[in-house]
Amino acid sequence: MRNQKKKATRRSTASMAAQRMMVGSLPQEEDEVLQSPMQMALHSFVRDKIAMAGVILFTVIFLCCVILPYFFPIDLYYQDVTQANVAPGFGMLSVPSGLQGNAQDMSVGSSFSVGLDKDGNVYEWGTFPNEKLKNIPSASETGKLVQISAGLDHVVAVNEDGQVFTWGNDRMGLSSIPMELRTGGNNIKQILAGYQISLALTEEGKMYNWGSEYLLRITYPEGVQGNIDKFAASTNIVMALTKDGEVVPLTTKTSAYTNIPEEIQGSVIDLAITDESAAAVTSDGRVYTWGNNVKGSLDVPEEIQGQVASLSAGRYHYTAILKDGTAVSWGDNTHGQASAPSSATSVASVDAGYYANYAIQEDGNVVAWGLKGYLMGTDAFGRDLFRRILVGGRMTMTVGAISVIISTIIGIIVGGVSGYKGGKVDNLLMRLTEIVSSIPFLPFCIILSSILGNSISETQRIILIMCILGLLSWPGIARLVRGSVLAEREQEFVTAAKSLGVKETGIIFRHILPNIITVIIVNATLNFATCMLTESSLSFIGFGVNEPNATWGNMLTGAQNGQVIENYWWRWVFPALMLGICTISINCIGDGLRDAIDPKSKER
Amino acid sequence: MGKGRYLLKRFVYIVFVFFIISILMFAIYKSMPGDPVDIMLGNSKTTMKPDAYQALYDKTVASLGLDKPLPIQYLAWMGNMLTGNFGYSTQYKQEVINIIGAPMANTVLLNVLTMIVVFIIAIPLGIVTAVRKNGVFDKTVQVLTIVGYSLPQFIVALLAIFLLAVKFPIFPISGVKTAGLDATGLSAFLDTAWHMVLPVLVMAVSGIGGITRYVRAAMIDVLRMDYIKTARAKGLREKTVIYVHAFRNALIPIVTITTSWIISLFGGSIVIETVFLWPGLGKMLIDGLLQRDFAVVLSMQMFYVVLSLAGNVLMDIAYTMVDPRVRLEN
Repeated sequence: MRNQKKKATRRSTASMAAQRMMVGSLPQEEDEVLQSPMQMALHSFVRDKIAMAGVILFTVIFLCCVILPYFFPIDLYYQDVTQANVAPGFGMLSVPSGLQGNAQDMSVGSSFSVGLDKDGNVYEWGTFPNEKLKNIPSASETGKLVQISAGLDHVVAVNEDGQVFTWGNDRMGLSSIPMELRTGGNNIKQILAGYQISLALTEEGKMYNWGSEYLLRITYPEGVQGNIDKFAASTNIVMALTKDGEVVPLTTKTSAYTNIPEEIQGSVIDLAITDESAAAVTSDGRVYTWGNNVKGSLDVPEEIQGQVASLSAGRYHYTAILKDGTAVSWGDNTHGQASAPSSATSVASVDAGYYANYAIQEDGNVVAWGLKGYLMGTDAFGRDLFRRILVGGRMTMTVGAISVIISTIIGIIVGGVSGYKGGKVDNLLMRLTEIVSSIPFLPFCIILSSILGNSISETQRIILIMCILGLLSWPGIARLVRGSVLAEREQEFVTAAKSLGVKETGIIFRHILPNIITVIIVNATLNFATCMLTESSLSFIGFGVNEPNATWGNMLTGAQNGQVIENYWWRWVFPALMLGICTISINCIGDGLRDAIDPKSKER
Repeated sequence: MGKGRYLLKRFVYIVFVFFIISILMFAIYKSMPGDPVDIMLGNSKTTMKPDAYQALYDKTVASLGLDKPLPIQYLAWMGNMLTGNFGYSTQYKQEVINIIGAPMANTVLLNVLTMIVVFIIAIPLGIVTAVRKNGVFDKTVQVLTIVGYSLPQFIVALLAIFLLAVKFPIFPISGVKTAGLDATGLSAFLDTAWHMVLPVLVMAVSGIGGITRYVRAAMIDVLRMDYIKTARAKGLREKTVIYVHAFRNALIPIVTITTSWIISLFGGSIVIETVFLWPGLGKMLIDGLLQRDFAVVLSMQMFYVVLSLAGNVLMDIAYTMVDPRVRLEN
């Protein structure tokens, strides 16, 4: 009896505190020195070290996922095979000190770079896609190298006798250098290592190509071979500039590249190709571009027209050297590759490639700008994992939060009505709750998302997943609310409200609900973690949110086999770490809240 | 007497729930994409003349009862399901009933073994931490169990594969037996057991996390009770107090939570079976969905429903065993 009375007084102070919170700032009464139960709960929650650590970790991750995508925008449909499976690191632009002031030739490869100093020493830095790249031939073998070029995963170099060497990947005939080039004695003017292909051009205007023919098939139109002055290549096409100043595509297929403006033919002095467009410099220093305007690569800055001396191109950007020796870049600027630093003056030569640029100044110094590397590496499609983890976290948390909101609302309504009304309504609603809770959860989610989800758009599919999760996970919260309402409805303040003629819905939602809101919040917190887990499990096996949308679950889908787990650890460690930290900290917060609010469970 | 009536009441209720869920299943069955008759007739649409095909089509519709009203169709479908006539698998070119034996055995084996491992570890651990609550050991276990049940199973699986199959190749990455191994008897059994270590370990991690915490909470609640003080005051040995007086009373909430855990365990094993390429029901369900083999999908779904209801029946039986009030009430 005494015990009950004590309980009653505790409850009513709790209700006062809750009401005070709801209504706003009521004037402080004389019991200022006393702590309200709410304050006590808050104090004991703040003292709970594990729970506070959870709050801090979760807040940091949450804020990162919400704010950082604005600073690191992502194109979900973007893919680039040349950047596939790049290990985390920022060493791509760290030019070795031996090259500074002494650089002869430099070249940007897919995720690594090569350089040559004036003494013919080879330098390699960055992230190597192939271990064989480290097998640089010794100086005694090669003699003094004068030109070097890096491709996707191989390097081509030429020495002062015109002998060509290659190392790195050797598949698809990349190692079978034509005999004439191997023996030397040629005057090699230009070499290029491309996407699984190698190209070389002699002073006499004869071009050689070796390597894969499947991706890039080169055909020489009549009269071109022997008359080539320069060439440029991208992953899609090779184009030559003849000694007459004409641009000739070395292909039989028509494409956006072959649509060369007629007025420039005959006066072209330099040529460069990105993956989607081509550009040429004419003898009057103007730049002409054609092709597809992807990521602004056709938008040549107006102020440089008439002053351009030479041109170089990466995958989606161009870098030009003006007649006064400054370097100017335009096009895609995702990695800063189109922001040439103001220090890039008195430039002798520029090598732009992939997402980076190296400018060699007249004194032999090197200025570099563009892609430094990836914080968390890239996945099998060359997408930046860091950016995907940010948007993936946003997606996982959104799906989790909305499902929890749906299930909590249903749970409150069903539990509240059931507990307050009692009798037949209670019986019926509780049977319904039992039926929903005996539905096998994961199999049902899988089958529903697979059958309902195959004829709708991706956004609708995500909404569907939220609804499925929400609609199947309310029974727990409904039971809890029902139990609490059953305990509360016998209290005096409910009787008082009844006798004042307050409507039933008013009593349930305005008078009883504020008293049990703490219990609901605790449960919703724990449910949030569960919903995030379920969503990521569904996405992991391919029945939740699908590509190209990222969630922490579907980022791990590709990491199921032993090879990926061993060789590309960053592809699973980072998403798994984020998801793990998030769910652990949410559960810690939930546990801490429960301990803080319910003094009985604190004794546990 | 009361025990029997209670069980009968629950059983009638569960049959009722089964029919409600089966109506839901029937709705899913009807909303599946593709015309079941077309699928059944297969390629005869291209080989037969249009009017002959139409006649055959109508005949098949009539023989399948698809021209009858929905309630009758439902009853016929239910009858088929209950008599083991699950339909024809387009993927395996066989009756579904003939192909679900082995996967079912694999899944049950995996899950039952996990349950045994979890109970053997979690229950003693829960009791020990409850008795020594707030000690160093208890705090450590508390933190570890939070981590255990918070981590998604597939992350634990990736970690386990990385550590125990890739870095230190002790266990195989996937499958149920070594390819090309033609062993019988004991060596075949050992080979399967060797393949099961990783999946069972992974599934057990989250189970141990959850169950330990529940056992601990239930035990702490019980240990505060007056009858425990009485038992101690009587001078009973501490072991008797804990294992006989306290644990038997703590079993009631444990039974509740264990049942729902077992049901979710079978569901969750879908993910584990996919990761470890374990040829069980979950993998069959996923393969069936990917291959659009809906007869298989629906039978798998039915199995999960029956299993979850069987779990409820088990829970009721367990209640009558651990809670004398259930027997006395009626």
